[in-house]
Amino acid sequence: MAQPTGILAPHHAAQWSRRDATHFLWRTQFGASAAEITRVHRDGIARTLERLLTPQTEDDEFQTVEPILRDTALDTGSVASLQTWWLHRMFYSANPLTERMALLWHNHFATSFAKVRSVPHMLAQNNAFRTEALGSFRRLLHGMSKDVAMLIWLDGNANRKRHANENFAREVMELFSLGEGNYTEDDIKQAARSFTGWHVRDDEYWFNARQHDNTDKTLFGKTANLDGHDVIDLCLAHRACPRFIALKLLREFVLESPTEAHLSAVAARIREHDYALAPVMRELLSSKLFFSGAARHARIKGPVELILGACRALSVRPNLQAVNQLSGQLGQALFEPPTVKGWEGGRLWITSASLLQRNNFAHRLLQGGLGKLPKPEGKPEHYRELLLAQAVPGLDAKAVSTRQQVHLMMTLPEFQLT
Amino acid sequence: MNNRRTFLKTVGATSVALGTLPHPVFARTAVNDPDGRILVLVQLAGGNDGLNTVIPFANDVYQKRRPSLALGKGATLGLTDELALHPQLSGLKEIYDEGALGIVQGVGYPNPNRSHFRSMDIWHTAKPGVADKRDGWLGRAFDAASKKLAGQVPAIALGTGRLPLGLVSTKFTVPTVRSLKDYQLQLAGNKAEQTTQRKQMRELVGSGTGGNSDLDFLRRTAATALDTSEKIQSVLEEYQPAQPYPQNGLGQRLQNVAQLITADLGARVYFVSLDGFDTHAEQAGAHNSLMTELSTALSAFYADLKAHGLSKRVTTATFSEFGRRVKENGSLGTDHGAAGPMFLMGDSVKAGLHGAHPSLTDLDQGDLKHHTDFRSIYTALLEDWLGWNAEAAVGGKFKKPRLFA
Repeated sequence: MAQPTGILAPHHAAQWSRRDATHFLWRTQFGASAAEITRVHRDGIARTLERLLTPQTEDDEFQTVEPILRDTALDTGSVASLQTWWLHRMFYSANPLTERMALLWHNHFATSFAKVRSVPHMLAQNNAFRTEALGSFRRLLHGMSKDVAMLIWLDGNANRKRHANENFAREVMELFSLGEGNYTEDDIKQAARSFTGWHVRDDEYWFNARQHDNTDKTLFGKTANLDGHDVIDLCLAHRACPRFIALKLLREFVLESPTEAHLSAVAARIREHDYALAPVMRELLSSKLFFSGAARHARIKGPVELILGACRALSVRPNLQAVNQLSGQLGQALFEPPTVKGWEGGRLWITSASLLQRNNFAHRLLQGGLGKLPKPEGKPEHYRELLLAQAVPGLDAKAVSTRQQVHLMMTLPEFQLT
Repeated sequence: MNNRRTFLKTVGATSVALGTLPHPVFARTAVNDPDGRILVLVQLAGGNDGLNTVIPFANDVYQKRRPSLALGKGATLGLTDELALHPQLSGLKEIYDEGALGIVQGVGYPNPNRSHFRSMDIWHTAKPGVADKRDGWLGRAFDAASKKLAGQVPAIALGTGRLPLGLVSTKFTVPTVRSLKDYQLQLAGNKAEQTTQRKQMRELVGSGTGGNSDLDFLRRTAATALDTSEKIQSVLEEYQPAQPYPQNGLGQRLQNVAQLITADLGARVYFVSLDGFDTHAEQAGAHNSLMTELSTALSAFYADLKAHGLSKRVTTATFSEFGRRVKENGSLGTDHGAAGPMFLMGDSVKAGLHGAHPSLTDLDQGDLKHHTDFRSIYTALLEDWLGWNAEAAVGGKFKKPRLFA
């Protein structure tokens, strides 16, 4: 198999610094503590990547708490409990990259509890994201076309032989595989007919043969008696698909506005690996591009990333219900994305109101309002590494207490970037 | 007033976004002064079923194509022998009868896009042909009027989670206020310490270098947040609604808009949204409640503005990314369509129907064809109402209908 070259060639390990380790950790988990930075700096990138891409055994505490939170969600049927369960995984799991990828897929296949109204279905979908987090996008896309939460979300049962409902067919192209501009309205109509009869019965996927349109359809120039599997395969074979997935990976892990060169380089690797995600991520996260200047402080933190990241940096074990509320107020209620398009992220996270709320979160965190805060000690530089990972002109001149310095750092525009 | 003066003393000097003093509402000259006029945009997100909003009840095709959803003459609020409003729009019907509601029919654009996101983007960017999301139509209008608007907050979005694309400008940062109460900065320590902290934050934030990096954007937005939050808090207590608003989301958002207008913050455009119009299945009940929310909220807003002597200075316009297909679907709902109606409300509006109802037989892929380009409505709103040049905002010259009396 051809090795990646150019911007995706491996970053030279001899240049490995603490700042690189911090950059790496903020992108591959939800924030980083001083101890974690030290560990990754010591281990180096190859060993760290190996750890992140190989399933790690969870510790005893996690193995005790996680099932309790999951069962609470299932027993109460409350989405808040389900949100807390996931936040716990994000913060405490020994497999943080898996959770970040699961969040990416949740955003990609954005399905909301608001319509699905079922904790078990949302949980099952979330576990599918986790199973394929570092698995195969091919399997994931096929899986989502039969996922119960998805079928409810996009009106699967309304898609019948004589009344094709275009909802899923449209989104599978526009949002899940190709992106707008790469298909026609007729393609959607043909695809919708191919998915007729893909229904839910007794809480499971059910192929309702009586409602399936068994006549010929023509999609992307191919005419046959297509079904949903064929549509997914045709989308995966479409040249736009690897680029579309490349865009998602780049925006989540590398930089907000990828260039044409970035997109085509990553798309080529996705094709090369036939949508296998672990090798693509291994290359991407160790690439020259990932460690280049263009990729530093080049993303605006999402709410969950911001809140959990700050807690981790300041060694706070947060009250996860409070984290959940805050995250919702900042615009990211897990399992409840605003539309089927998910959270668009980037600058759209930021408004004057959300910035005030982000500042108020910093205030609350430093007041101990989210969990016991270890007394700030050490020099401001220590906190600058943890919170900003860069120098900010003018900051040191503010002669105030360490706690006030930390608060000022967290209200800086620079703090919103990672 | 004291807190307002204190605010100006402490923040006025460094305030970039809010250079001008607040004027008392009535000190503004008459309606004839375009600089005192305000536009309130109400977005109906999800694709409002225009056919069941302004209803051609007498049309056989409508009745036939909508076997379960069609409403008849008796069940609607008649406008003419052939057209009627949805039965839940009684508040709007009263305003129509008073002569303060205009209904523009058949609004859309060429080659309609049926994706919510793309079509909404088109309405927000006023660029049907290109996927360019850098700025919005109003944002470009602010930029073009930037000499006049310098030092002001040109617009405020109320209750939206994020800044609507239509208001994105390269020269101004538009505040997005989720709720007026939450829009304040919490700080530790006593008053003097808080003042120091606020000052330090404001200094460190700067105001951006005018560039377009994410960091510049964050700096500008943070500056707006710090400056406007202080101002909004200081004007909160002075407003009383003329009558209670309905306890629904849109009602509460419009009450906040009325509050900010009476506080005379100087913003020329307000933006609110009502979501949930994507009625693919079981439409009747959902659309009923949406129509109720729309009508009760708008009529309370109109009455409140009237009582405050502002109904001539404020025009409210509704829009949606598309209408819905003429033929209902198999799930008692409707799928994404094309052209739809817009409401214009206010005492300066030329009331009545503008343009004919689109044909129900001459269709484009099963959808209503538009006869009025939304960019010509935008042109009228910008030029004839706000008094700004529209060409850059809408990307060309569009023949505009006469929308104002």
